[in-house]
Amino acid sequence: MASNQHILITGDEARKRPKVDRLSLTIISLAWRNLWRNKRRTWLTVAGVAFAVWLLIFGRSAQEGTFMTMVDNGARMMTGHMQVQHVGYEEDPGIENTVNLGNLIESIRIVPGVDHVSARAHGFALVSQGERSFGAQILGVDPEAEGQWSTLKGMLAQGRYPSAPGEAMIGATLARNLALDVGSEMIVLGTALQGGVAAMSVQISGIFDMTQPELNRSLVVVHLDDFREAWAMSRNEAHTIVVVTQDVAASDRALEIIREKIDPNKQVLLGWRDLMPEVEQMMDMKSVSTEVIFLVLAIIVTFSVVNTFMMVVFERTPEFGVLQAIGMQLKYLRWQLQIEAFMLSALGIAVGFGLSWALILGVGDEGLPAPIPEDAEAFYARFNMGTHIMLKFDWQAFRTASWVFLIGIQLAALLPGWRLRKLRPVDAIRQET
Amino acid sequence: MSIKLLFQLSIRNILRHRRRNLMLFSAIAVAVAGVSSANTLIRGMQYDMLNSAVENLTGHIKIHAPGYRDDPNIDKGFSLEDGFTLPVEPEEMLGWAARIRIPAVIMSERETRGVQIVGIDPASEHISFLSDVPIDGEGLTDSKDGRILIGKELALQLETRIGRRIVIITQGIDGKNREKGYRIVGTYDAEGKTLEKIYVFTGLASLQSLLDSRDVTEVSIRLHEEPKKPSIKDMLSEVFGNLAVLDWQELEPMAAAMYLFADSAIYIWFLLMMSALIFGLINTLITSVMERVRELGLVRALGMPKRMVVTQVVLESTIIMAIGVLIGLVAGYLIYLSIADGINLDAFAEGMEMMTMSTRFIPVLVWDDFVLVAVLSLVLGVMASIYPAWRAVRVKPLDAIGR
Repeated sequence: MASNQHILITGDEARKRPKVDRLSLTIISLAWRNLWRNKRRTWLTVAGVAFAVWLLIFGRSAQEGTFMTMVDNGARMMTGHMQVQHVGYEEDPGIENTVNLGNLIESIRIVPGVDHVSARAHGFALVSQGERSFGAQILGVDPEAEGQWSTLKGMLAQGRYPSAPGEAMIGATLARNLALDVGSEMIVLGTALQGGVAAMSVQISGIFDMTQPELNRSLVVVHLDDFREAWAMSRNEAHTIVVVTQDVAASDRALEIIREKIDPNKQVLLGWRDLMPEVEQMMDMKSVSTEVIFLVLAIIVTFSVVNTFMMVVFERTPEFGVLQAIGMQLKYLRWQLQIEAFMLSALGIAVGFGLSWALILGVGDEGLPAPIPEDAEAFYARFNMGTHIMLKFDWQAFRTASWVFLIGIQLAALLPGWRLRKLRPVDAIRQET
Repeated sequence: MSIKLLFQLSIRNILRHRRRNLMLFSAIAVAVAGVSSANTLIRGMQYDMLNSAVENLTGHIKIHAPGYRDDPNIDKGFSLEDGFTLPVEPEEMLGWAARIRIPAVIMSERETRGVQIVGIDPASEHISFLSDVPIDGEGLTDSKDGRILIGKELALQLETRIGRRIVIITQGIDGKNREKGYRIVGTYDAEGKTLEKIYVFTGLASLQSLLDSRDVTEVSIRLHEEPKKPSIKDMLSEVFGNLAVLDWQELEPMAAAMYLFADSAIYIWFLLMMSALIFGLINTLITSVMERVRELGLVRALGMPKRMVVTQVVLESTIIMAIGVLIGLVAGYLIYLSIADGINLDAFAEGMEMMTMSTRFIPVLVWDDFVLVAVLSLVLGVMASIYPAWRAVRVKPLDAIGR
């Protein structure tokens, strides 16, 4: 850098101090002052960027929160966050594909983040009362363990959760179809191993009314001991081991630790992504649409910023002419624009971040009331969505937004900066404002 | 002074800063193109949900005996006289079908499942999904066909195949169980596995004779147009006074909620995109006003009334918006054309099924939505100009000229 071109630093001063630093400081302070020459315009531009950043963070946070609630509610209703199964069970849910429990339950229970672990058995059977019979899914559970976490309890329309062998809980539609009430007897007839007959008689202790019509029509919950007896399974056998964790994040952390504990030749560990593939796909699908929204937003905001800079350059043309006439290099003018752009985007991102943070903190643990349209409660319940949206600050969204706008706005400043090459000091100074 | 003059002034002001306004047009166009093409996707989703909902045996309108929905049994059926015809103009509907649909237990040598057995007249099932899905083996031939058609997934679960026999147990008109062996004539491959697991089909007349009844449990009607539904439903309610006449929204509340949700999604999209845009628009308009302070002072001094100054700024904003919207709508239409063949969503099959949608996703262009976007954008353009116009009016002629 030849010193005679640094018009802002002259003579002795330039020789004494490190040139580049002094120059950069000058350019930075010039950029900052220029930014505030037109406060209204700067704030409007910042508001545009901040709005987009806020929208993205808030949107992603609400989406993440909603999905996590869906997964958690789904897990606590039926599937658990994780399940251990026989390797072949998912392909062929036959009664013979059981897991040997050993001390697996105890060893999973001590994994950090795990709240509950219990065994289950599944089968299909004909359930009947008098002359009426229907096909049903029979779920054998340990009522003492599952009663602690299952939200099925909260869906009881009548009666109570089964507590002792010989008791069962059935769906409301099935109860109506079979004309059963709490206290009635019901016969269960299924196919046991080697084509034998699995039979039991149970007393209805409770009738649940879930939002899933197929479960209301076909689910029967019985005591695991009864199931084992009827289907001739040993006390050491079950079809699934259900693991419930504190929350979804805890389940993701515990997954690998639990995987170490099972026998990979005989058993398989399924996470919530395997157990609820439809939720994960919905998440992916939503992410795609969020990305599209974000892309469009980014383009709109960037164009607006380009526009702002075009105006800036236009207004300051005479000034740029003067600076050039007294020897300032074009590249420093451009630098100044880029720094202004950086400040603008940093401000916008900071404001957007602040707004999102304040909103998420303000909403807190209670969540934002979901905008449930009329008659859509069933729909929300169907997807295991709560009535409130839990907001979880999404750092990933914040990072993406920051990068996109930092880079986008730098690009936006390049275009007007590039136009400066045509600047002729004499004409520029003469230009009327 | 006429509006024509103001119009000219606005146009010239816009042309003064071609490059700057070009950016603004582009921003508006991107927003409008984004919103309008997204709308075709949202509409596609909505129509698809409606289609899936009415196709899976529901139809637009369905007639049941009262109490059937609580206790779906043949004793909650109703009879249709011989040669019954539905009192709906044939040109208004795609068709109608009478069926029996009751719960049953299906047993193969190895497995047992609970299903719904549906007695159909294959000739009238062009209104349901059954006519669209690929069938391995054969379909049912007529109402007297005593064989059974089951879902592919169910066949897998029962570990059985075409040509083998299965046993159906269901409840007859007297409340006693009927048991009958059926030969599997074919398997159908519906889009979602849920349908395949629930429904098994046999001939209506043959099922009636098994149940010792001449009743049916439902009449399903598929119309050509959704909007015609309410009037036809009212008419049918009068004709079938003692039966329950229900539309698909009542029968499939979930799909109905999604359907409604899509309507609001269109507005939400618009609002988000346009909010991001409006900052830039206001910014440009204000600059354009501030640049012209001297000019505005001059014209005011020469006697231009305030309201004309306001009109001029509003007009300028509206013209900018209108040009941007026009470009945007054309671009949106082109995007729509490029995806009009449909987008394949096989990767999300289960998620889509949960939302009662098919995996092939065809966008639907509704011209009204384009008009809506255009009108709302212009309204927004006027709104964005309020503050700049107010600034323009505040210009004091003397100060402005003296600057």
